[in-house]
Amino acid sequence: MSRNAVIATLSTVGTLVAVGVVVVLMMVGGDRRALLIGATTDAHHQLELSCETCHAAPAFADPETAKSELNKTCQNCHEDALDDADDSHSRKRFRSPRMAAYWEKVDARYCTSCHVEHRPDITRASAVTVAMDFCVACHSEGEQDIRTTRPSHEGLSFDTCAGCHNYHDNRALYEDFLVRHAGQPWLKPEPVHALSAQYRAWKPPEESAVGPGGTMAPAAALADSTIVAHWAGSGHAAAGVTCASCHAPDVADDGPQRDVEAAWIDAPSTSVCRDCHRQEVRTFALGRHGMRQHPELAEPREPGQGLAKLGLDATLPETILASLSDPAPPTHMHAAEARLPMRTDAPTEPLNCGTCHDSHAVDIEHAAVAACAACHDDAHTQAYFGSPHHALWLKEQAGEAALGTGVSCATCHMVKGKRRGKVTTNHNQNDSLRPNEKMIRPVCLDCHGLAFSLDSLADTDLVSRNFTGRPAVHVESIEWAIQRAEPPDAGR
Amino acid sequence: MLTFTEEILLLLLGEEDGAFLPVNSNAFECALAGATLMDLAFALRIDTDLESLIVLNENPTGLSMLDRILARIAAHPEVMDAQSWVRLLAREEANTIREQALASLVDRGILEQRERRRVEHYPMRDGTAQREIKLHIREVVLADDIPDPRDVVRIALCDACSIFPEVLSDREIEQATPRIRQLRIMDLIGREVAGAIAAIQRTMLMAVRTRLARFRKYVLALAAIGGIATLATVLVPRIPVPDRFGPTLLERLWGDGAWQEWSGYVLLALSVLGFAAASVRRMRFAAKMGDQNWWRVMHVGLGMSCVLLLFVHTGFRLGYNLNAVLMGCYLAALISGAFAGVLMGGATQLRRFGFAQVGKLTRLPMRVHVIALCTLPALLVIHLLIVYLY
Repeated sequence: MSRNAVIATLSTVGTLVAVGVVVVLMMVGGDRRALLIGATTDAHHQLELSCETCHAAPAFADPETAKSELNKTCQNCHEDALDDADDSHSRKRFRSPRMAAYWEKVDARYCTSCHVEHRPDITRASAVTVAMDFCVACHSEGEQDIRTTRPSHEGLSFDTCAGCHNYHDNRALYEDFLVRHAGQPWLKPEPVHALSAQYRAWKPPEESAVGPGGTMAPAAALADSTIVAHWAGSGHAAAGVTCASCHAPDVADDGPQRDVEAAWIDAPSTSVCRDCHRQEVRTFALGRHGMRQHPELAEPREPGQGLAKLGLDATLPETILASLSDPAPPTHMHAAEARLPMRTDAPTEPLNCGTCHDSHAVDIEHAAVAACAACHDDAHTQAYFGSPHHALWLKEQAGEAALGTGVSCATCHMVKGKRRGKVTTNHNQNDSLRPNEKMIRPVCLDCHGLAFSLDSLADTDLVSRNFTGRPAVHVESIEWAIQRAEPPDAGR
Repeated sequence: MLTFTEEILLLLLGEEDGAFLPVNSNAFECALAGATLMDLAFALRIDTDLESLIVLNENPTGLSMLDRILARIAAHPEVMDAQSWVRLLAREEANTIREQALASLVDRGILEQRERRRVEHYPMRDGTAQREIKLHIREVVLADDIPDPRDVVRIALCDACSIFPEVLSDREIEQATPRIRQLRIMDLIGREVAGAIAAIQRTMLMAVRTRLARFRKYVLALAAIGGIATLATVLVPRIPVPDRFGPTLLERLWGDGAWQEWSGYVLLALSVLGFAAASVRRMRFAAKMGDQNWWRVMHVGLGMSCVLLLFVHTGFRLGYNLNAVLMGCYLAALISGAFAGVLMGGATQLRRFGFAQVGKLTRLPMRVHVIALCTLPALLVIHLLIVYLY
């Protein structure tokens, strides 16, 4: 065989083998990370192994179907948050044929018109993949021309829109709200975060408390006096939650010792926490810390189904089917996988409730600051210690200031909410994070005026310094809103 | 007894497969023409001196092949010298002479006629005839005796067609070269055959060199532009995607799926055409379609246009994962190809600067070029599968 024939044969065989492997990976099962066409955004990198969570369209679907199916999957995780935010540019609004003229400009019926995955070269803040002056597409002509309908906006370029507006969430930025909150002092006379104060003030009824004598556990488990002491001083003990409540959840509270020992679980899962803290566990799975437990994540593929789709015999031996299986996606986030700066000595175990709360001490004060700083190592976190907010937190902890006056990491990033009369912590840290104006209504305004809050959050240096100092940036939204509501010549 | 034409054809056939040995086609045609003239001379039908070749006897020899040539010489209005007849017959009669001589050898039962992959082969029935001729030539060349006139002719023809490596070892050739030179000029027609071949080869060499020099200029220019463009676009900072909203050309090129699809398929088409141009150049039918060097120029030109399309398709962003491997292999193919093109196109200039072994220098980039190209089909299919499946 001539050298050319050998090369041609090797190339052909290599091509067939390589393509065969890739077809099996795509259609049947296996680790597909090598097929990624670009780094996944910070928002979704934790889900990289569950391709079908987003890529739900059947293979070789026509482009319209593929696009439509892909966009439907965005709603699975983001629709509730957008509804809560009273989305200013909701898909529903743009589906109306009345808006057809705008579809050609920016097709707001589809999330992917502005948020394309795996394109790091064009991905900007908040995973936006169009130029940040995109408002120009619709608000530069006709009745939507913002420069003619708002005299204050005359001469502004479209890359400044994001300084005052958000595309989706404008709950703290719409005109009436701005006018209503105009003229507020930078610090309110009684700066207290009301829901935090309520939350911290809550104590379980004294009669529900149990002591070490009131709990059942195997002797070996009770031998560690530190653990028992931690539990005894915790809110759990005060609320009557015994060892068995978590370690033997299937046994009745007054069940016999032998049943507790038989059903004992050394490391209970998050589902045990969910029994009592449903809202906290639900929101934990919506944020970056727990999104790998999101209920809408796709399950690994069934290799048999893929083989059948390819017209191949799906009744293969178990060992072969197992070798064709998708790698099991990780069920928890680890600090080491984070893309934000993390401490080198951050905990290595998977992130779950116990990582921040300590399984036995269940210390919410620890979870509110120290637990965050055990992993996060960015400038904002470092600057917290020694900041005015931190000083207030220390004072409150020391009992020198009223409840709710201290500001912890959790005060701003795990915002308290009220549900059925009960104060709960929203464990979706993203709910008040990006864009940061989302934090204004549930957090900032309890202590600060709107103008000061807007200026502070717009000053990226001040954010880095964790609000040590005064804002060097001024957002003119409130003045412009007042001018529009009460034009200077209105009284003449 | 075999004619000189039959003998020379027999000597030019491979011992094992019956395929013709690789001999310069002009030399082969001149040798056939010269052999036919010698057959006529030995049949006492023509004679030749330094200035003319004349017909002595127009009576047929009984061999149709020789009689046709004899009739043509006799009917020719002008008297020409032997070299002119060698050239004329080589140009106009060589194919007919070859076919008739081969048919005669088949009729005599010395050869068989077979067809393999649409190419005719003439394997020998037992190889005795060829072996005897070779042994006889070997004896004559290595002996010191004054040879028979027929042997002088055989030696002249063998030398014209460079057949001696099939008959003698390298050492024997070295030893016998002075005698071969001496013997081949003993016969006038043999001398004229050698002269005609040498003159034709000189002319052709000049023509080839002139043409090659022109093609080399094209190859050098295209390869240099392609190479510099590839290196420049790989090394200079990426052009950022415009940060202004609006349907700008760059945003469409690198952001719009439909545009990406088009540019991708045009790039694929150009790549396939470039590969085809390189492959077709080596095929027989390509020779009939014109100068083979045009295929090379086309190959290099298509390679250069691939650089442009690659920029249009990717903005020379190197990609991620398997796309990065695809891009790496594609760039390796382009850069190595351009480098090989520059070496080939600039061979004359490089030799002037003292790089005698340009051919050897070209080998490495050519190997890289071929290896990189071999990986592309798999990576391209995978690229397409990823695009359409996800």
